[in-house]
Amino acid sequence: MTDRQHLDEEALAELQDVMEDEFDVLIQTYIVDSRDRIASLRTALAASDADAFARTAHSLKGSCINIGAPRLGELCLEAEEAGKAGDLGEGSELVGAIEEEFATVTGLLDRLLVR
Amino acid sequence: MSQNILRILIADDSDTDRLILQALIKRLGHEVIEAVDGLDAVKKFGEDHPDIVLLDALMPRMDGMEAARHIKVLAGERLVPVIFLTSLSETEDLVRCLEAGGDDFLTKPYNRVIIEAKINAFDRMRRMHDTLSQQHQEISERNRQLLEEQSIARRVFDNVAHTGCLDSPNIHYHASPLSVFNGDVLFASPLPAGGMLIFLGDFTGHGLPAAIGAMPVAEIFYGMARKGFSGADVLREINQKLKLILPTGMFCCGALVEADFKLGQLRVWNGGLPEAWVIRADGDPVLLPSRHLPLGILPPEQFESVMEALQVWPGDRLLMMTDGVLEATNDHGELFGLAGVRRCLDRPGSGRHPFDAVVEGVRQFSVKTAESDDLTLVALDITDQPEVPAVQEQPPPSALAGPTEWRCEYEIRERTLGDFSPLPLLLHICLEVPGLRTRGGEIYTLLSELYNNALEHGVLQLPSEWKHSADGFGRYYSERQARLARVDGHYIRFSLHHTRKPGGGRLRVVCEDSGTGFDFRNHPLVSGQGGGDSPRYAGRGLLLLKRLSNNITFRGRGNHVEIVYDWNFSEHQGDGDDR
Amino acid sequence: MPIQTSLAEDGKTLVIRIEGRFDFSTHQAFRDSYEHADSKVTNYIVDLSDTTYLDSSALGMLLLLRDHAGGDSARISIENCNSDVRRILSISNFEQLFAIK
Repeated sequence: MTDRQHLDEEALAELQDVMEDEFDVLIQTYIVDSRDRIASLRTALAASDADAFARTAHSLKGSCINIGAPRLGELCLEAEEAGKAGDLGEGSELVGAIEEEFATVTGLLDRLLVR
Repeated sequence: MSQNILRILIADDSDTDRLILQALIKRLGHEVIEAVDGLDAVKKFGEDHPDIVLLDALMPRMDGMEAARHIKVLAGERLVPVIFLTSLSETEDLVRCLEAGGDDFLTKPYNRVIIEAKINAFDRMRRMHDTLSQQHQEISERNRQLLEEQSIARRVFDNVAHTGCLDSPNIHYHASPLSVFNGDVLFASPLPAGGMLIFLGDFTGHGLPAAIGAMPVAEIFYGMARKGFSGADVLREINQKLKLILPTGMFCCGALVEADFKLGQLRVWNGGLPEAWVIRADGDPVLLPSRHLPLGILPPEQFESVMEALQVWPGDRLLMMTDGVLEATNDHGELFGLAGVRRCLDRPGSGRHPFDAVVEGVRQFSVKTAESDDLTLVALDITDQPEVPAVQEQPPPSALAGPTEWRCEYEIRERTLGDFSPLPLLLHICLEVPGLRTRGGEIYTLLSELYNNALEHGVLQLPSEWKHSADGFGRYYSERQARLARVDGHYIRFSLHHTRKPGGGRLRVVCEDSGTGFDFRNHPLVSGQGGGDSPRYAGRGLLLLKRLSNNITFRGRGNHVEIVYDWNFSEHQGDGDDR
Repeated sequence: MPIQTSLAEDGKTLVIRIEGRFDFSTHQAFRDSYEHADSKVTNYIVDLSDTTYLDSSALGMLLLLRDHAGGDSARISIENCNSDVRRILSISNFEQLFAIK
């Protein structure tokens, strides 16, 4: 498992600065967006579509890295590589880990919004 | 630092990433257009013409690489930087982005400093490209204008210079369409008495300055040739004019040839052009090198216009060229040179025309260097009686306007006999008569036969049979020069008298000279009886006079000749043969 | 420099030496060589030892020098021409205007 942070506080602070009033919108968008993509991962897994699995993981990885969720990004990379390799044997465990980390990140982000 | 506001297209299917990127870019002060996938990006590119495009590599419907290819096609000449947004890390994926026309990458997470630096760098590149293509366009436009101006100038020049009788079957020439802008000129004109005058010139310099110098030369050449001035007169006039109008340092290398097919004589003046060649019918070459300074350098009083005379026979060919021929260069940087011309001509019996041989020789020699635009070549075949296409005369303003009843007398004396030909002046007077304008050739022939007989056989006492042998020919002309220098006490007098007749007119010409005359009463051609050779009117001269005029009378001791020339309006030019 | 000038020991002869091609590209340098010369200069030597090629614009430049040096009274000699250069000068009959050695 990765030992990266759940959230990169520094990156988030910069985003807050850049986005100004739109920061909340960004967080909401990220959460909705990511939830959709995780659902897509499940669908691809059910269909044994390694290609779609890899592509969805790739996209999710991009926004996780951008938003400042490096550990989740790392998990997505593993999923992307598994998909590219056509090996979905551990797919279910990977998606499970992603879902778990996403829940953690969401909880942390929620607190950020409340603050 | 002030900066451009750019229109930037960003395409990313991830709403999160797009939100972050557009916020970053807006903060840099640019305008953002958003697209949610590749297809959307191509559509919005077409609608909004952004300056820079940021494309996510992997997108649904159409991925970034394909979108980039479409966008580059749509952009055409315009430089639109395409930057890929990616978290791709494998080299081969990055290579695919570049192959699709990507100019750079931005990796996630986005870094505002790097984004700003890249956008600014591509903006500079884009503007530099715009400036370059704008300059390129201006240059292309300028060049197009220049070519158009050249073609207009060419038409003006053609109107002044026309092709004269260059289309005669016995003339061959090669001159590129814009050769005048390389400083080359080539003119040919029939002479009123038959024969031709050909001028080949090569101005120093290129382009407009060279072409401008060519205009007065054309005017002088055609104007004077038509009026019957001699080659030497034409040369003096051209030299004087060019000396006057050209700045020091600009001049015209040239060669003038006066061909008299009846006498079988070429007179050549070469000032600064490569050797002219006469190729005898049997292949033997005679070289006529430049013996004078080019035209436009010497003041009139120092200018030497004496032409070299050469006897020629049918089957001989004259070849003249500009130095572009000698300076043609091959792949190895070697010059064609005089040796190259010699190689082409040194194949007797090949049956090829020397002109074709040299043109082909130069073409093969300089096959890969486009030198052929800069050279002009002309050949003249010596024939018995060349067909000269009629040069269009200006139609007379009115067939009836002009003097018809007049008389004049003109006498030249002493040293003027050696310096001056009265023929152009006398011809000019005669051609004021409307009905005679189209008969200039016949009138000139009559006047010049009378004059030349009076001068050469009357005043100078030269025996005409000398002209019929190769040795005598040279002797004849050197003796002519020598005797012209001592003509004290001599004169030639012309009396011209014109009257109207119903439907036409009558010109009487009396020519008297101070010579000893000849025994015309016993001359075979005058009296119609057989007899020995006579020193005067032995050749074609008298036959010509008899054929062209209605009546010819000798008086005094044979030094007084009168001819009568009748003409009618209804007759056309050239009908003289029927008389 | 393709054109070098020097003053001979007599102090009144300007030697102009042209290296390589003597054509339109040397126009300005050739002019400068004599227009900026000492006012005591009365004689000119154009040294063509190292001149490989000469075209008609070079002939024009020589005429300009001749004008500058007093036209018919100009004292100009053209020296050390190779055979190609010599041929071009003689086709144009420049020996009538210059002393060619």
